[in-house]
Amino acid sequence: MDSDPLLPVPISYIAGSYFLFSIDAVTYLRREHHICGVLSGTLPQIPQQNVFLGLPLKLMPEEARLLVEKGVACIVDEVKAQKEGMRALREADRQKYLRELESQGAHAMRLQTSRKEQQREEALRKVEAKKAAAAAAAAKKTTANVGSGEEQPASAHPDDAADEQNNQNQTSRRASTTSNSTTSVIAAPYGTTMGITPATSHPPLPYAPSAAQRLPAPAVPASYPLFARLHADGYYLSPGLRFGCQYLAYPGDPLRFHSHFLVVAADWDEELDLMAVVAGGRLGTGVKKGFLIGGAEQVDDADSVRTFSVEWAGM
Amino acid sequence: MADADEAAIHLPSQDASAHIEIDLSDETQDFRMLSNISFLTDGSQASIPKRGEKDFEPNPTLYQADILSASRQAMHHALSHPRIHHPKNQIVGVYAPDGPAPPPQRTTTSVGGLESIAEGSGPAPAEPSPTTITTIGNVHPDACVYVANPKSNLFKTIGQADRWNRIWLLPEEALFMLERGSLNIRWPRSEVGFDEEEMDGNGVEDSGIPMSLQAAYAAFASRGGLNSERFSVYTGLRRLGYTITRAPGWDDDAEDTTGDDESTCNENARQQGGGAGLVGIYSRFINWLCPPSTNTALGPVAGVGFHRSYDDIYSKLSIIPWYDPTATPKAERSRAQAPYRVVFHVYKPSTPFKKSAPPAPDFRIAVVNARAHTSVPTMSQLGALLESTPLDPPSSEKMSRQMYMRLRHGYRNVILAVVDEGVVSYLRISEAAFGKEKLYKQKALGNKIQHRPKPKGR
Repeated sequence: MDSDPLLPVPISYIAGSYFLFSIDAVTYLRREHHICGVLSGTLPQIPQQNVFLGLPLKLMPEEARLLVEKGVACIVDEVKAQKEGMRALREADRQKYLRELESQGAHAMRLQTSRKEQQREEALRKVEAKKAAAAAAAAKKTTANVGSGEEQPASAHPDDAADEQNNQNQTSRRASTTSNSTTSVIAAPYGTTMGITPATSHPPLPYAPSAAQRLPAPAVPASYPLFARLHADGYYLSPGLRFGCQYLAYPGDPLRFHSHFLVVAADWDEELDLMAVVAGGRLGTGVKKGFLIGGAEQVDDADSVRTFSVEWAGM
Repeated sequence: MADADEAAIHLPSQDASAHIEIDLSDETQDFRMLSNISFLTDGSQASIPKRGEKDFEPNPTLYQADILSASRQAMHHALSHPRIHHPKNQIVGVYAPDGPAPPPQRTTTSVGGLESIAEGSGPAPAEPSPTTITTIGNVHPDACVYVANPKSNLFKTIGQADRWNRIWLLPEEALFMLERGSLNIRWPRSEVGFDEEEMDGNGVEDSGIPMSLQAAYAAFASRGGLNSERFSVYTGLRRLGYTITRAPGWDDDAEDTTGDDESTCNENARQQGGGAGLVGIYSRFINWLCPPSTNTALGPVAGVGFHRSYDDIYSKLSIIPWYDPTATPKAERSRAQAPYRVVFHVYKPSTPFKKSAPPAPDFRIAVVNARAHTSVPTMSQLGALLESTPLDPPSSEKMSRQMYMRLRHGYRNVILAVVDEGVVSYLRISEAAFGKEKLYKQKALGNKIQHRPKPKGR
C-alpha cells in the first residue's frame, strides 16, 4: 500500500512546533512506532469542517524526542533549510522540478477530465434509461389501449441498444484519444495542466538535511519519563488538556479505540493535593476512563516509572 | 446522599445523547467514515459522517486487524489527496519575502530613473514619489503574499487591496488558503536562485515554482507575530465559517485600544438611580425629607429611623461592597500582557462583514499556549485582559427578562483559546455583576416571578 520512508525521517521544526508533512512518514510512524501526533491542517477535499483534519501532522515535543532517541527521526530547522535550499537551486533543478510538476498536473487533469466524462456519460445513460422506460410504459399503455401488440416495444429496444453502443463507442474513442495524448499535449479546454501545490518540498530539495540544518533533540517537560514508559508499554498517547489531563492513553490506535486513561505526571516526592486526586478520579469515572498518575523514581529514568490508577469506587 | 451522587455520575453516560452534545472533533475519528462522502459529486458534501463505533481494546483477531488496516488505509488515502488547481480558476499568489512592495518596473532603472519612468507610465494610478515605494495603500506591513487575480469568495473577508488591484495576504491568511487548496503560491525569483541577469529586465517576480505546503509553513508560520498556536486558532475558526481578523493587541508592543465609549457607561449609571416617573419623584422626596441614617456602627445593621419600604432595608443590609463592572475604569489601566491579550476579532458567519469597515467583533479571543503557561491566569492578568475589552452589557430583550442569562453573559467578556499541541479548548470568561442583580427588587415586581429557570444540565 504505502511505501516506507527513508530513515531517519526529517521532522520540521517551525515556529516552536514539530511538524510532519510527508504522508508516508505519517502512516509509517503511526503503524510502526505508535506515534499519532495531532493532525492540524485543513483537508482540501472538505475544507469547511473540524472533524477530519489533514496534513501537516503536529508532534508533541515528547513524541519528537522519542523518535529521535530511537534513531528513527531527526529534527530539521525547516525555515533555514527552505531558505538555503531554495536559494541554492540551479537552473537545471528548477527546470526538472517544473517538468515533473507539469507531468503530474497533466496527469491530474487527465484523471479529472476522464472522470467528468464518465460522470457525464453515466448521467446521460440514466436519462436515456429513463426515457426508454417512459417510452416503454407509454408503449404498454398504447398496446393496452389499442391492443395491437409487440411492434412498438420491439422497435424501442433496438434504438436503446444502438444508443448504448454509440455511447460505448464514444467512450472508447475518448479513452483512445486520451491514451494517445499521454505522452504529448492534451487538448483540454483550459490550459493543459493542473496547478499543483505539493505537500512536501522534497523533490526540489534534498530529503536528508545537511548537518548545519539539524537541530538537537527537543526539550521535553518533566513528564517525559512517564510518557516514554507508557509508550513503551504499547499505549498510544495524545495531548489531553481537552479532557483535563496531560495525556490521553489509548490501548490501541485511536482510530479504532477509545482511550482508557487520563494521565497526569507527578514528581516522585511531590506532595499531591488530595483534592486533585479526588477530582481526577471523578473526572475519569465520569468519562468512563481511569485516572492514571505516575512518575519516575530516579530522575529521567523511564525504567523507574511507577504508575497508579485511581477509580471512583462509588460505595 | 450517596444515591444522588451515583446518579450524578451515571447521568452523563446514560442519556448522553439527550444532554451532552457530542463534539466529534474532540476525539480522533475513524477515517473510514470520511470515505463515505463522495468528493466527486462536489457541492453535495452536505453532511459530515456520524461518529463511528470503536472497540474497547485490541484483541488478536484478524477481524480487528483488518478493520484497523482499513481505517489506516482510508486515512492515508484521505491525507494524500492532492491540492490541485484547475487552470480555469486557479488563484496564483506570489510570496514577497520583504513585505508589501509596489510592482516592479518594466525596465531596469537606477534609483534616479525610477521617478521619471513611473511618471511616464499612464495607467499606474500611483503618485510617483519615493513615498509610494514604502506606502502602497493601506496594506498591513506584515502582509507577505500578493494575489493579482483575486477571484474567490474567500477574498470577501480575507486580504487587503493595494492601489494596483492586487490583494495582499497576511501570513495566516496565505497559509490557510494554501492549506485548503484555494491558492497556489509561487516562489519569487529572488528566492530560488535566479541569477542577477535573469532577474532584471522583464520585471517578473513570479518564478513559476509553486511553494509546497511544507515551504509555506516554514515561510509563514513564524512570520509577523504568527505562531503555531495562533495559527491553530485562526484556521480552526475559519474552517467553521467564522470571519477572523487580527486585533490591535496582536503585536506585543502595540497599545491595546478598546472601543469603550463613555456614553454607554453614563447611560448605565443614569439608569441606576431610583425609579422612573412618579414613584421615583416620591421616593426621592421621602429620602430628602428624612434621609435614611447611615450610621450602622452602632445599633441595628439596617439603621434606626423610618423605613418606608423593604427595599430601603435591604439596600441598607447590603453592607458588603461589590465591584461594579460598569463603573468608569480607573484612569491608569494596567496593560494586558501577552499572552493574555486579545489577538483575534471573530465575527459570526451571519454578521455582515465589510473588509474596509469591519463592524464590532462578536468575540474577542486571546490565545494561550498551554505548554508555556500551565497555571490559571492570575486575577490581575484576567482583570487587565477584561479591561482591554469594551463594555458589553446584557442588553438583549431576552436577557432583560432572565436574570441568569444576564449573569452568565456578564458585562465584559473575552474568550481564551488554550492550545495544547494543536488541540484547542475555548473558555469564555465574563465579568458577572451579582451586585447589580437586586433580588429584593425583583420580588417587589410581584409575588410571582416569572418561571424559575431550570438549572441547566451541565
